[in-house]
Amino acid sequence: MTLNQWIRSPKGYVTAALSACLLFASLGSGEAKGIGNAIAAVGLAVLADLVLRRLTRKKPVPPDGAAITGLIIALVLSTTASWAVTAVTAVLAIGSKHFLTYKNKPVFNPAAFGLLLSIILFGTGQSWWGAFGDLPAWTVIVLLAGGYAVTDRVNKYPQVFAFFGTYFVLLLLMGLNGTGDAADALRPPFINAALFFGLFMLTDPPTSPAKPKEQVVFGVVAAGAGALVYALFGGLMYLFIGLLLGNLYHWRKARLKVTGVRKENPSFGKTGKGTLGER
Amino acid sequence: MAKMNKKWVVLCSAALAAVYTAGYAATETEASLQQPAAQQIQPSPQAQGSPSAGSGSTAGKSTKAGSIRHTYKDGTFTGMGSNRRGSIQVAVTIKNDKITDVEISRFAMHYSESDVVGLPGEVLQKQSAGVANVSGATYSTEAFRGAVQQALDQARNA
Repeated sequence: MTLNQWIRSPKGYVTAALSACLLFASLGSGEAKGIGNAIAAVGLAVLADLVLRRLTRKKPVPPDGAAITGLIIALVLSTTASWAVTAVTAVLAIGSKHFLTYKNKPVFNPAAFGLLLSIILFGTGQSWWGAFGDLPAWTVIVLLAGGYAVTDRVNKYPQVFAFFGTYFVLLLLMGLNGTGDAADALRPPFINAALFFGLFMLTDPPTSPAKPKEQVVFGVVAAGAGALVYALFGGLMYLFIGLLLGNLYHWRKARLKVTGVRKENPSFGKTGKGTLGER
Repeated sequence: MAKMNKKWVVLCSAALAAVYTAGYAATETEASLQQPAAQQIQPSPQAQGSPSAGSGSTAGKSTKAGSIRHTYKDGTFTGMGSNRRGSIQVAVTIKNDKITDVEISRFAMHYSESDVVGLPGEVLQKQSAGVANVSGATYSTEAFRGAVQQALDQARNA
């Protein structure tokens, strides 16, 4: 695959969009520490991916997915976090990608899993600086442009619209009802976090469904669970918890499908034809 | 899988924008009460602070005429520190120019309160608002520092 072809691939789009966010946010905040953290996170994530792939005797592939995970983590964790914590978080994320798997695919979105662990283990401050949460409001246009390009490329509009539709309706209801802290969630930096999350993390192809109907259910589950956690507990983990529950729903659905096919056709998978791996 | 028609993308985006705007408008009052403007990350003491009206407080009590003039009034004073990630209110008690007690009276940050639970002790030790940054809790530390400084500014004798 040439560089030109790679740039046009889904991973190429995501990498380009996230790199643009990194550059834009660094220029906007006027500090380079975030770039240093990103280099550490991407470097360690790629290294961990190569090592774990070798240890688990998986087919060697370019570690561009690991680089994306590292970039997302660096853009979410505060620039005041140390480079070591950022890098370890990225390694934890890559570990989940290799060990929490079903049919050789990660069950949980690696970046979301790593970031959730990072809050629990290291108490990391998550600023979502790469989503321009501390920059002027107009900068959200840059975020939306990159996010829409990625969503279009990975064919995830139904999921993205279902997610944001559910999320905004629930926040509106919370606001009208005076429950939870909907005012914060609808304003920077939290709205920037939700946009970054919905456009760049939720759309991860290996951990989200491909079919439009399943995408809609996935988006509704992730948004509903996230908004509920936010209404009850506030904090910062609600988006991750929503996505991980969405991932669990997707995993459960995939398992039920396989079980159903096996019951209908006991020879499924034995001949090597018609297995999930060939789809 | 066929791509979504661009017309539908525009329509859905417009619908989302409408729901978001409705939510934003519905929470405007709440936001103006809870979420101070961005420039209040290091709040102006005159704009925000207020002496505590709590029972048993001696807030605002000046030293008696003829005695040594103190830098601070005796009493309990509250201060608020805030940024885009929430706010912290503290109650600072002062006696004879010495900070004798610091209490986080309201914690409304989106981070864990346990991150900053040691900061009141640090204020007592340093006798100033200049607490060191807590690793991983920079925003909470900033808000706490601002809150204590505001309380001290309120207590300062003119």
